[in-house]
Amino acid sequence: MPEDLPPLFSRIIKSLPVIKHPLLLMVGGVALAAWGGFAIFDLRSWLGLSLLLGGWLGNRWYARALADWLDRARDKPDALPPRLDDTRRETAERVQRLIRKQRREIEKIEADLHNLRSALQASPNGVVILNEQQCIEWCNRTACEHFGLDSNRDILQRLTNLLRAPMLVKSLEERNFSEAVILESPLSKASHPLCLEARFFPYGQGRLLMLSRDITAIEQAEAMRRDFVANVSHEICTPLTVLAGFIETLQHLSVSEGERQDYLVRMASQAARMASLVDDLLMLSRLEGGEPPDAKQWTDAQNLFMRIEADANALSAHMAGQNAPGHNLVFTGMDTAVEIAGAAKELQSAFFNLVNNAIRYTPPGGDVIVSWLVKPDGSADFSVRDNGPGIAPEHVLRLTERFYRVDSDRSRASGGTGLGLSIVKHILKRHEATLAIASVPGQGASFTASFPAHRIRLAEAEEVAYNNHL
Amino acid sequence: MSDKHLASQFDDDLNNISSKLMEMGGLVEMQVKLANQALKSFSLDQLQDIFDAEEKVDLLEVEIDSELAAIIVRRQPAARDLRLLLAISKITTNLERTGDESHKIAKRIRSIVELGEARKIALGDLHAIFDMSASLIHRALDAFARLDVIAAANIYKEDDLIDREFKGFTRKLITYMAEDPHTISSSLDLLFIAKAVERIGDHAKNIAEFIIYIVKGTDVRHSSLTHIESVVQ
Repeated sequence: MPEDLPPLFSRIIKSLPVIKHPLLLMVGGVALAAWGGFAIFDLRSWLGLSLLLGGWLGNRWYARALADWLDRARDKPDALPPRLDDTRRETAERVQRLIRKQRREIEKIEADLHNLRSALQASPNGVVILNEQQCIEWCNRTACEHFGLDSNRDILQRLTNLLRAPMLVKSLEERNFSEAVILESPLSKASHPLCLEARFFPYGQGRLLMLSRDITAIEQAEAMRRDFVANVSHEICTPLTVLAGFIETLQHLSVSEGERQDYLVRMASQAARMASLVDDLLMLSRLEGGEPPDAKQWTDAQNLFMRIEADANALSAHMAGQNAPGHNLVFTGMDTAVEIAGAAKELQSAFFNLVNNAIRYTPPGGDVIVSWLVKPDGSADFSVRDNGPGIAPEHVLRLTERFYRVDSDRSRASGGTGLGLSIVKHILKRHEATLAIASVPGQGASFTASFPAHRIRLAEAEEVAYNNHL
Repeated sequence: MSDKHLASQFDDDLNNISSKLMEMGGLVEMQVKLANQALKSFSLDQLQDIFDAEEKVDLLEVEIDSELAAIIVRRQPAARDLRLLLAISKITTNLERTGDESHKIAKRIRSIVELGEARKIALGDLHAIFDMSASLIHRALDAFARLDVIAAANIYKEDDLIDREFKGFTRKLITYMAEDPHTISSSLDLLFIAKAVERIGDHAKNIAEFIIYIVKGTDVRHSSLTHIESVVQ
């Protein structure tokens, strides 16, 4: 651009590209008016009219350019307004400021909304917002997982079109939201049951907030509690019936002294069975509720195993009777001088329960191998292996459930309460140990309690010597 | 049902009748589910709920039909709206029959439990078929709510699978009956149950066909799967 031109002239030249169109329109208007008006008007009025027409057209162009710019301002608020004279430019800039302010406000509101929705997304509950027509306005991911909703496609879909459980439909129809609706999720499968509790909270004018929560675990726990009470009642009821029968007989019938003694012996055994059941139940509740045993209290394993070995031999002899051979009881690794961190009484109960089970379920003459093995990494396994009938795989996982019986008649006949393995599981859990059960039906079973390395230590030599000395 | 009409009252009418249909669908779905559970556990506890729901389903069917007539007279719908209303009329019939089939199943279960012979027969296949048809009815109703033709075409495909499984189960029942004549009366009950289950799958398929009819305007009844797929694309 030449520097020496006068300012007004250079301004006109600078703005040429912008005012090209109005200029052309002006010239065109002048030419048009010239062509049509020349014949009618004299030169002066012709010139005036031409300028008027050109000016009008130019003005229209300005207005159009401004409108275009305003249209675009929504997306590009920073684009400069078209070059205009000062008054209009001022107006345009004010409008621009207004648009920018509005835009900032919208951005802030959007960010707030986004934050709010993120918070609702993070909720562990399913959240569904329903409008006045009970159509889904928004739902979070958890709600989608609970009800199989699609957070894009199902927007503005009526909730009851997709969740058709009659209880839920009824509650919405009657607008009775005082109670939660419990329903099975549409995605629930036999392998993955999903039980849900849905609650509605009305707000605003006829709008609803629906919260859903996964209560599968609660329902299962409730079912287990019911089972447990039923089982305990059943277990106590059986010996009680027998006792009541004998008592009635003794009350109303005259029986010989020999029969009376026989009845009393049987009554005593039933009473003992009830007592052992109550003992086991108390022990379980103590194990569950009580503090875990002190990890700094060390128990001498050798001593423990000696007692177990003696008890096992006695039990085997008792099971086999007078003349028959007992089980082939083999104890290995029992003489390792180690100590286990934990309560001696509990550990003995757990170990003996395992040995007891093996002896009771293996017919006399069978092998029961009890072994204690301290591994190179310092951890240790107590395992009991037998060659009895074994356990079918479908039972193995549930064996440690309370009152779970593979064969109810036999285990009750053998004097079990159905709580032994639950007790073992709880004791081992308190000692940070795990119970592994492996079995091949027909070939036997093995139960292994594995203790972590920090729960095992070698017995200090002097202490052992001291104990031996005693 | 998101397309707006000038008369929003008409929209409300259509939405309300669709919702009513879905309510009926919910009841029928519950009947099918309860029948399925009852067959799995052979318990009579919840059979009464199936019979109770039956009355409500019948009432809803009559109600929906009379409302349909009122809408057609008042609004004189055309094109997609007319198709929607016609389809709703047909779907109610299908749903009502599905409810009837559950009812039949419930009655048969009662007779089996009273006889007590069916425990000898392995029912894994029947349970699998029942799960499939229950899921088809559920998905057919979902597809109607969403007017989802792709889902409808998938339902159409899966119904063939149910038919094949049904034939397999029938053959198995025949071998049971041939081996042990004591199982004949239970086997016959089970056969009727399996047939009813298979019919439930067919009703789901019919509903799927009407969904395609509403959206695409093509009547795909009695046509091949390839034709349906070309319509849906």
